[in-house]
Amino acid sequence: MAEVPLLELIGLNKTYENGFRAVKDVSYRIGSGLLVGLIGPNGCGKTTMMKCINRMHSITSGDVLIDGENITRSTHAEMAKKISNVPAELKTSFGLTVLDTVMMGRYPHISTLWWESQEDEAIVDDAMKKFGVDHLAGRLLHTLSSGERQRVLIAKAYVQEPRLMLVDEPTSHLDMKYKLEVMEYLQYMVKKDMTIFVAEHDISLMARYCDLCIIMKKGEIVKIGPPKEVITSELIEEVYGVNASVGFDQDGELYIIPKRFRSKH
Amino acid sequence: MDIVLLLLVAAVIAVVLLSALYVRRSDGRDISLTAKRKRRLLAIVISGIAVTFVMFLVALALGSAGTMSVSDALSAMISSLQNGVRTVDERTVYYYRMPRAIVAIAVGIGLAIAGCIYQAIIRNPLVDSYITGVSSGAGFAAVLAISTGTVFGFAIGSSFVVPIAAVIGGMVALTITMFIGEKAGGSSTNYVLAGVVVGFLFSAMQTLTLAFSGDRLRNAVFWLYGTFQNVNWSEAWLVVIPVFVMSFLALLWAKELNLVLLGEDQAKQAGLNVKRFNRGMMICASIITAICVAFVGIIGFVGLVVPHICRMILGGDHRLVLPASIAMGGFMMLIADLIARMAIQQSELPVGAITALIGVPLFAFLLMKKGRMYDG
Repeated sequence: MAEVPLLELIGLNKTYENGFRAVKDVSYRIGSGLLVGLIGPNGCGKTTMMKCINRMHSITSGDVLIDGENITRSTHAEMAKKISNVPAELKTSFGLTVLDTVMMGRYPHISTLWWESQEDEAIVDDAMKKFGVDHLAGRLLHTLSSGERQRVLIAKAYVQEPRLMLVDEPTSHLDMKYKLEVMEYLQYMVKKDMTIFVAEHDISLMARYCDLCIIMKKGEIVKIGPPKEVITSELIEEVYGVNASVGFDQDGELYIIPKRFRSKH
Repeated sequence: MDIVLLLLVAAVIAVVLLSALYVRRSDGRDISLTAKRKRRLLAIVISGIAVTFVMFLVALALGSAGTMSVSDALSAMISSLQNGVRTVDERTVYYYRMPRAIVAIAVGIGLAIAGCIYQAIIRNPLVDSYITGVSSGAGFAAVLAISTGTVFGFAIGSSFVVPIAAVIGGMVALTITMFIGEKAGGSSTNYVLAGVVVGFLFSAMQTLTLAFSGDRLRNAVFWLYGTFQNVNWSEAWLVVIPVFVMSFLALLWAKELNLVLLGEDQAKQAGLNVKRFNRGMMICASIITAICVAFVGIIGFVGLVVPHICRMILGGDHRLVLPASIAMGGFMMLIADLIARMAIQQSELPVGAITALIGVPLFAFLLMKKGRMYDG
């Protein structure tokens, strides 16, 4: 018998109330300790699939298993100990500081009545140092730069100690340097025995950092595999309808240069 | 000069200063923010109790029926509690000033807590404790009761008739608001919009009732402005007990109130059943509001401003903001009521106007200094 995968999707379907089928009969198994890139055009169902996995959306049919346990009927509180997510954007004011925000990541594990325990404080303290936001602890969330805010949100998802972390477009507002920084943080976390799903439009970036790519189109999986094997100019053409040149640089890293938009035939 | 009062005031100032120093003290090393917020909470609780207690004694000592020294008021309070009422002073303190002061504190706490809850779950700083239309429902029912002189055939003679009518009116308004909000999708914005229209509906009906109320108009209008006049012990318990129970509940859920500030999705992914939580908190806050409105009328401003003042001083963590709102709400209402009954002889001013007069300068000052925390 094969090893129990960290995440298993069995025939997952999501149809919205207006009849739109966002995710169509998706099944796959993903192991532990992997950085998984979700790739596909806007509206292909990446975000919907992630939201079905952590049940922000209800599932139309199908099952989601984490460590072999079906979670489609578990409560939000049970889910929160297994899955955390990093939103693309977080708008809040009301005077929450960076420390307050990261500390809230501990919420699913807190058993004390009022303040967090010293253990929780130590975990948060440690995470804030690791992600380089400890010097921002007293700052208000909305006064941070995009890069800083993204690191705070990642630290918050990290202290939640999940098995699976879902990250939605973490680098969309960031410059080159911060993009790499975020991906390196994600890679660091993967080593801690959790699997991370990251949805992102920058395919070169994904190819550089991800262990596995899930390529989606119109709610279906086109291909799953290591980026260097699955990403080809034919695939880009098929999924995006774009003519792109795919190559390797002198270090053997994959790069993608979109060349021309071509309407299909 | 009242020596005891001077000593008490000095003691309170010392307590407040010491607790402020305690929060800032560093022992020559860096204290972590986590340690700091624990100290802040302790400072809030101790200074809150000290300041409110002294103000409470002052409220017992002053009044139109004759001013006494604070020490006399204190001894009158203690002896009337121990041995029953025997002297005129004890009578004044025990039957009139004590229940009134206690209700003022409770209503201040209740409105501040309710406002704080609404602002957090609706994530809108402009929201106050009257947002779900409860006050309009209660106001309409009370005005109807006062101007027709009866409620369901019961004569207005009993002092409970108007409050009971108001609570029922408030609950009817809340039920309609919840129903519409739920049907609209159940997001917090849906509830606010539902509350606003329900509020308008009952306000309109209240205006119409006032137009037909003839010579009872003055009574009805005065009730609407809010007053602690004629509060007695049996009413006091009916306000104090529910307000304290509900405030306790809100305190138990302080962490969850923080969580909903991050938005519905983030609260949900952290394991909170957001819809159920919001609904529960909304009902809790509405019950507090309805009870406060029922017994003392509509006192504006406290529910809007007290939570903001606390946030601007202490930050967004409800584990600090809620206790601070309790301390400040009670204290502010006590002072406002004292001014309302002492400012002119033989008459009373509407408390709501006084709360605004006290609160606006402080609020404006803090807004200018710390308004940026509401950006983004």
